[in-house]
Amino acid sequence: MKKGLQTWLDERFGLSGITDFMTKKTVPLHKHTVWYYTGSAILLFFAIQVVTGFMLILYYKPTLEMANASVARIMTEIPLGWIIRSVHSWASSFMIAFVFVHLLSIWIAKSYRRPRELTWMSGVLLLFISLFFGFTGYLLPWDDLSFSATKVGTDIPRAIPVVGAWVTKLLRGGEDVTGDTLTRFFGIHVCMLPVFLFILLAVHIYLVQKQGMSLPLEAEDNQEKVKEIPFWPNFVFREMIVWLLLIGILFSVAIFFPPSLEKAADVMAPAPEGIKPEWYFLFLFQTLKIFPAHVLFVSGETLAVLLMLFAVVMFFFLPFFDNKPTGTKGKVITLLAYVFILYALIMSVWSLL
Amino acid sequence: MKLKHSLFTRRQFLNGLIGGWVGAFLASLVYPVVKFIFPPYKEPDEVILPLSDFQDMPPNSVKNFAWGSKLGLVKKNDDGTHFAFVGVCTHLDCNVAYMDDQRKFFCACHDGWYDENGINIGGPPPTPLRRLTLVITEEEMIVKKESPEETS
Repeated sequence: MKKGLQTWLDERFGLSGITDFMTKKTVPLHKHTVWYYTGSAILLFFAIQVVTGFMLILYYKPTLEMANASVARIMTEIPLGWIIRSVHSWASSFMIAFVFVHLLSIWIAKSYRRPRELTWMSGVLLLFISLFFGFTGYLLPWDDLSFSATKVGTDIPRAIPVVGAWVTKLLRGGEDVTGDTLTRFFGIHVCMLPVFLFILLAVHIYLVQKQGMSLPLEAEDNQEKVKEIPFWPNFVFREMIVWLLLIGILFSVAIFFPPSLEKAADVMAPAPEGIKPEWYFLFLFQTLKIFPAHVLFVSGETLAVLLMLFAVVMFFFLPFFDNKPTGTKGKVITLLAYVFILYALIMSVWSLL
Repeated sequence: MKLKHSLFTRRQFLNGLIGGWVGAFLASLVYPVVKFIFPPYKEPDEVILPLSDFQDMPPNSVKNFAWGSKLGLVKKNDDGTHFAFVGVCTHLDCNVAYMDDQRKFFCACHDGWYDENGINIGGPPPTPLRRLTLVITEEEMIVKKESPEETS
């Protein structure tokens, strides 16, 4: 029966190419193999986001009048609703944390070098999409905190010369953060971003399969010694152990520390004290805060935003700045990675003080 | 490997164990999903309506009110007393209408008929319309969940 169905499907889809590939695929074993697990951990959290998102959308109402109350209803009335929202909120943090770890490991291992430039670039775009997911999702409960954070966040592009004001208007759907912004963010969060993410994800995963796992520098030096294990079932089973652990941690955190919900945002009310974005934006938030009002003849904000944009562009095109052949160390790039980690940590902690 | 008197091989046993464990794990994930998908519905214990809304009703007429998310009907009888019904056909959940000229409740979905006291008299409805208890105080009309027979 199972065999019959398999042949039936194979005759139509030609799946055997894929299954053959999967059974032959191997994963190198060395002391940096642990970083290979971060990719599937991101996928795990993304899958959880999709499922819990499908669930939350059954009750969430993306309008000025209803948004906050509908989240309150999910938290109080809907069976197990508070856990679902908590898991959705926490899994987003876990996912972005793993995206950063994944990216830094590739940065430091120089795995983005030829022929993996496009894998890196699609990955950077996936990072931006993940961050934009977080940013748009943060507004949806429509409480004081999320409202104010969105006012600040959508105001940042305004500092960009020429197009800035237009970008802010585009994000907000008008001059201010209003009910239109909420509906717009909802649409971006549940409709536009998922489409872009799936397309880029397909490209990203295809490229990883096509080019095989990248080897770290020291392993490439003595290539014959690298051990390999089959992807299926050996590596997948190891991944499943990791998933199980991560699910356990995620659910424990979600149950003991559910996200709060403040009263509905009042568009006319003054901003509450101590507004903060999500933790992954804290270092940017603090960077903006410490810039003086004026640096020479430009405003500090404009300078800060332009510097950030410059860093982002450099970062996106990193494989073309560091296009040394694989095997060379690239100490400056490694140093930059550690400087970035240190900078982000210090700024984030500072912003909390 | 299979022991002499064993019913299954060690491989089968282990596969069953792991499969069962995976199944139980997945079930524990599916359970909250299923629970979440169905919103709770709680019928109100009572609904309090301002009496003034119902005072100028002519005899032999009905007026709507919200019984939770269902249609509620207050009917004023010829003798000035009031009845309250859940205005939902007992056949397939359509809202009923009161035809004052015929002194009947009518469900247009499948041609169901109830008399002026809500008793099913024609068409597919299997049971009478559900009666609710009405308590009238000086300023309020209180509709309660129980049927009048249960309270009296």
